[in-house]
Amino acid sequence: MKPFFLAACAALPLLAACGDNVRGVQNDEYGDWRGSSPRQRSLGATGSGLVVFGVDKEREAREAAAATGGAGLAVNAYLWRATLDTLSFMPLASADPFGGTIITDWYTPPGAQNERFRAQAYVMGRQLRSDGVRVQVFRQVNERGQWVDSPVSPATNSEFEDKVLARARELRSQSAQR
Amino acid sequence: MRKILLGTTAAVGAALLAPMAAEAQEAPTVRVGGYFRAYYGYTQQNGQAPTNVSMGGLSGGPNDSNAQLGNTFASARNGHNDFSTDAEVHVFVNGKTANGLTYGAVIEIEFDSSEGTVRSDARRAFSRKTGAAIDEMYAFIASPTLGQIRFGDEDGPFGGLMNVGWVSNFGTGGAYGDFESFIVRPTRTGTTPGSVGDNTKIIYLSPQFFGFDFGLSYAANEGEGEDTGCLNSFASLNCDRVYAATGIAGNGRSHDQPGRMNEIQWAARWRGSVAGVGLAVGASGMFSQVVRDISATGVITRNLRNPELYQVGAQATYMGFTVGGGYMWGNTNYYYIPTLRGDKDMSMFFGGASYTAGPFTVGANFYSGQYAGTAFTPANANGQRRWAYSIGATYRLAPGLDLLAEFVRQEMKEPGVSALIPTGNLAPGSSGDVRDRGKASVFLTGIRLAF
Repeated sequence: MKPFFLAACAALPLLAACGDNVRGVQNDEYGDWRGSSPRQRSLGATGSGLVVFGVDKEREAREAAAATGGAGLAVNAYLWRATLDTLSFMPLASADPFGGTIITDWYTPPGAQNERFRAQAYVMGRQLRSDGVRVQVFRQVNERGQWVDSPVSPATNSEFEDKVLARARELRSQSAQR
Repeated sequence: MRKILLGTTAAVGAALLAPMAAEAQEAPTVRVGGYFRAYYGYTQQNGQAPTNVSMGGLSGGPNDSNAQLGNTFASARNGHNDFSTDAEVHVFVNGKTANGLTYGAVIEIEFDSSEGTVRSDARRAFSRKTGAAIDEMYAFIASPTLGQIRFGDEDGPFGGLMNVGWVSNFGTGGAYGDFESFIVRPTRTGTTPGSVGDNTKIIYLSPQFFGFDFGLSYAANEGEGEDTGCLNSFASLNCDRVYAATGIAGNGRSHDQPGRMNEIQWAARWRGSVAGVGLAVGASGMFSQVVRDISATGVITRNLRNPELYQVGAQATYMGFTVGGGYMWGNTNYYYIPTLRGDKDMSMFFGGASYTAGPFTVGANFYSGQYAGTAFTPANANGQRRWAYSIGATYRLAPGLDLLAEFVRQEMKEPGVSALIPTGNLAPGSSGDVRDRGKASVFLTGIRLAF
């Protein structure tokens, strides 16, 4: 029994180093024999206590999570929402909230049947910053039944970005008033 | 070929370092946490009205004009009602290295260093009941894949860290809870994992592997904190490093005197869920050597048994219901005090159940054990029996803020041993009235704030 026990003890950490079913045991998983005891439940131990020295990572994470509107988004929620709103007049092809990309399908404006547009938008990072969004617009024109690429004025992209940022600012101020 | 080799090396390197490479170094943070609690308690306990019995004199020292030295015969009466407050302040240091190791230290300051005293400042020679002391203090280094090491004054895997089956998530912990604050010895405490103590030790705690993890600890002796524990400039019974002392069979069997040496604690548990039911099963134990007896002429013999203890437990949780229980056995007395050869072994059951619905938790728990008792003589060959049961409830008003109420009944009996309970109505020196049964009931209610 003893040799087996010792062998198991020696082997476990080695096994532990190479499996998906391994995880570190958190400090609050020990000492649960008297689980109701407040000394085992001190909020300081689990990260929400008062930080007297150092950077409060949990608080940063909490605030970042709040800014992204929950656990589902990896990018700034205001920018994400604003980009969706701004591009909503076009059909959406794909939206990835984790990568922060929004890609629309081709869209033909009602007044100009021989040209079509599509847009790609990238929301970058969790901060609400003016350089936190990039929009790229593509344009094609119909020449004798064939769609061919056509240049877009450089101002178009930045105008889109300005619209997104304005919308984001609007959303931000709306939520701040609540 | 070179490309393949480089690729392989890179892949191996990535595989080895992958869990760590993505980590960013974090400067240590220092947090303050802890708790405060205040209870009202209504206590009924026998032996609380001794008349004309020998009591310790209240020596207040040179500044006390009422000083009485030595034992005197006296009478006293205890009432039922009392308030009790307690608090602990915990300091948590946490940091993370660039390769993913977490490290830190925990220092827990408690304010109940003295169980009995007079009102604070009333007599300067008495220690205050609210004097500050250190409960636990240790440093740790943890890796998500290799486990963690703790070094310092801390509970061991058997003595509180990894026990399974103690259902105590209601009230103050029921039969393992704070009712002790209202009870006078000897009916005061039960033999719970916490009574093993937090002597200075080094602890290894494994990572979880398919729901399974284990822990091991080693302590050189029962001492904690700094310094040697010696009260004199020569070796004595009180020293941490004492391995032999005269009269150890009497002194070493006190909870306040060292008894264990080279203590090893171990625990293993499995936690997981089967068909939506959260399950935990565990086993743990403690082995140690014991301080030996030495005659005045220097002959060393061992007359106490090396402590050897085991505990098994299981717990299940489903839809807010928790049920758990277990069994502990070994060759020590209550409070894990070493016993003499031939003494009765410890045999103790514990169990409980609770139900949580939203902010409400109600529960009940118990323990029931047989121990060697205060003295192994033909009169108490059955040893001592000690049991308790409790029902209680908690209402969580806000995160960390609980309102609670519970009732606890604790009893002990040791047939034929009158020394347990202060006797009443005795003429000085008489030994006629045998009270070999201690009984206590406590109803308590109050507030607890963890921060």
